[in-house]
Amino acid sequence: MNTVITLATKDLRLLLRDKATTFWVIGFPLLMAVFFGSVFSGMGDSMSGMRLILVDQDQSESSIQFVEELGKSTALRTVALPLDSAQQRVRIGKASAYLLIPKGYGTAQGFGGSAKAKLELGIDPARQVERGYLQGIIMQSYFALLQRQFTDPALMKKHLRASLDSLRADGETANELGPLTSFLGSMDQFYSWLDTVPKTTAADSAAAGNDAFMSGPELDIVPMTADRAFPKSSYEITFPSSLMWALIAVTAAFAVSIVQERTRGTFLRLRIAPLTRTHILAGKGIACFASSLVVCILLLIVGGLVFKVRLDNTIMLLTAVLCSVFCFCGLMMLISVMGKTEQAVGGISWAVLLVFSMTGGGMIPLAVMPGWMRTISNFSPVKWGIYSVEGAIWRGFSWGEMMLPLGVLIAIGLVTFTIGVTILARTDN
Amino acid sequence: MYGDLTAVDNLSFTVQDSETFGLLGPNGAGKTTTINMLVGVLEPDSGQITVNNTTDPSQTQVRMQIGNAPQALALYEDLTGEENLAFFGRLYGLSGARLKERVNWAVKVARLEDRRTDQAKKYSGGMKRRLNLAIALVHDPPVLLLDEPTVGVDPQSRNFIFETIEKLREEGRTIIYTTHYMEEAERLCDRVAIIDHGQLLAIGTVDELIEKFGGHTQITVDFATSPKLPTNLEGSLDGTHFSMATPKPLEVLNTLANSKGKFHQVKIERPDLERVFLNLTGRSLRDQ
Repeated sequence: MNTVITLATKDLRLLLRDKATTFWVIGFPLLMAVFFGSVFSGMGDSMSGMRLILVDQDQSESSIQFVEELGKSTALRTVALPLDSAQQRVRIGKASAYLLIPKGYGTAQGFGGSAKAKLELGIDPARQVERGYLQGIIMQSYFALLQRQFTDPALMKKHLRASLDSLRADGETANELGPLTSFLGSMDQFYSWLDTVPKTTAADSAAAGNDAFMSGPELDIVPMTADRAFPKSSYEITFPSSLMWALIAVTAAFAVSIVQERTRGTFLRLRIAPLTRTHILAGKGIACFASSLVVCILLLIVGGLVFKVRLDNTIMLLTAVLCSVFCFCGLMMLISVMGKTEQAVGGISWAVLLVFSMTGGGMIPLAVMPGWMRTISNFSPVKWGIYSVEGAIWRGFSWGEMMLPLGVLIAIGLVTFTIGVTILARTDN
Repeated sequence: MYGDLTAVDNLSFTVQDSETFGLLGPNGAGKTTTINMLVGVLEPDSGQITVNNTTDPSQTQVRMQIGNAPQALALYEDLTGEENLAFFGRLYGLSGARLKERVNWAVKVARLEDRRTDQAKKYSGGMKRRLNLAIALVHDPPVLLLDEPTVGVDPQSRNFIFETIEKLREEGRTIIYTTHYMEEAERLCDRVAIIDHGQLLAIGTVDELIEKFGGHTQITVDFATSPKLPTNLEGSLDGTHFSMATPKPLEVLNTLANSKGKFHQVKIERPDLERVFLNLTGRSLRDQ
């Protein structure tokens, strides 16, 4: 083991001595994460406060209440504007989306209306993540408001009477309205009777089961849906990508270092020393693994401390990082035998890894990739690396969901490492 | 065998303990392949290598006894000279005070005392070559394999390397030295094996090889005026220029002196390993 540590220490020392490589391994990924993170957050896309423009054309009591309800969401930064201004701001990227509350919304929301309440969400089709996020928040606010209406007799009576007036004003015949006016009238009487009932304590209500009835069915809102399953900030997208960039740089550096050992004669010297081939490969593998792990952890610490990337799911996150590192160590071994000179291996490694990065979400976030690109990304280890790290940071994966990306990463690592070692042994002999 | 090429063909020799043994041959003769087989990096297709009664040279105890200075500069250029020595020392099991002591010794041997903490990439070619040799010595091996250790170095460093090897020889180490410079083999080696195209052409001490394959001493004399030579003297006289190959050069010179001819220039060429190689192969060692 001492021998392996000696070999690994030498490789780590060589890595640190090479200023250019050190930059590509640590500096570049960090710059990427910070730069793109700040660019995306600067465009108003910060998901902890998405800018939503509200266009209230109805100006009814219901629509005003709905606007107020949306304004309470900590996930949104709302502003009211006319429709044309809202459309303009969304087009130029000054806001994530606009929500139009058209005329008639308040009426349609009442009982017995002939039309369903309609809303219009204006958003760039490419912003799939934001669209899903906004849909969730809008529906959440809508139902929260509705629930309050049902549990507030005064508000409910007001709505019932408004609905009855509206039906009568529409000039419906007595036969057509008969059952509906009868039902709404009964409801109105029921809520009037409720006003005469002495108020009970919450405990009494609960004991009598009244509370459950008056509040309607309890809706269990899992915060993960709105809080965990979406990135809190753009840094939660850029930092997982930066981890992959770091792994790519380490992989390329070590792949070149193996071929350097062979072309410069030091590999021969190692083979003449009292070492087995296993020692030599283990030393190289451990150095690659250790440096990858250290760089990933450093990047995550910076992301967590400075950019508030969520690292609370530590064990899962560490597992994702370990599997990603293992995968890239295997790739390193395979790439190192794909060429005979440093230039060839250096070129091949960056060519292969850049393609993996481009298709795997290292450049374009997986969340906003078009469908066809997402299909291609399945062939890239970068995708599975990012996917697993994002799974631990913000996708809210369970261990069961993590099995797929982790399994793919381990499988790629094992296969590529085995092929690489086999080819290396053959070429040596 | 490398594909269709037979790099080493039916090569057989024995190196005695404390002997400096030279493998002399042109580039591509199979010297490095032989060295690589001796340390177990390459496995011969047939035949056997025995090192200290062990037939597997890749065994740890065998490798611990061998120090190898490859022909290519096999060192880490981003590490300092000292770090290179310490790294390889550790691979051979050195640690603590012993490692420190051996590194200091090797630094002195390589004459890198003032530059020991400089990265090897900042060294001159001669310094790198000396460090390459010192790395082979750091674990104090009794057997040394030196593969063309003077290739590409300046005369000063070359001479320094010679002196180092002579000291190691005096210490009683067994040295296998490959070269294509006959002067090096003549100066350093107790015995020399001449190889070409992977085959052993001749083996013996330098004197034995010269005596056996070198031919006679060549005498060339330019007279001031045309001499009258004895008729029984073999050789060719062309005007004032006389030349002759003879096993007894002093006797011939005495005869020429008695011929009353006045010497303008006398040249006596003792056969060397170059001549031996020429006579054995029909080609010059230097022309390869």
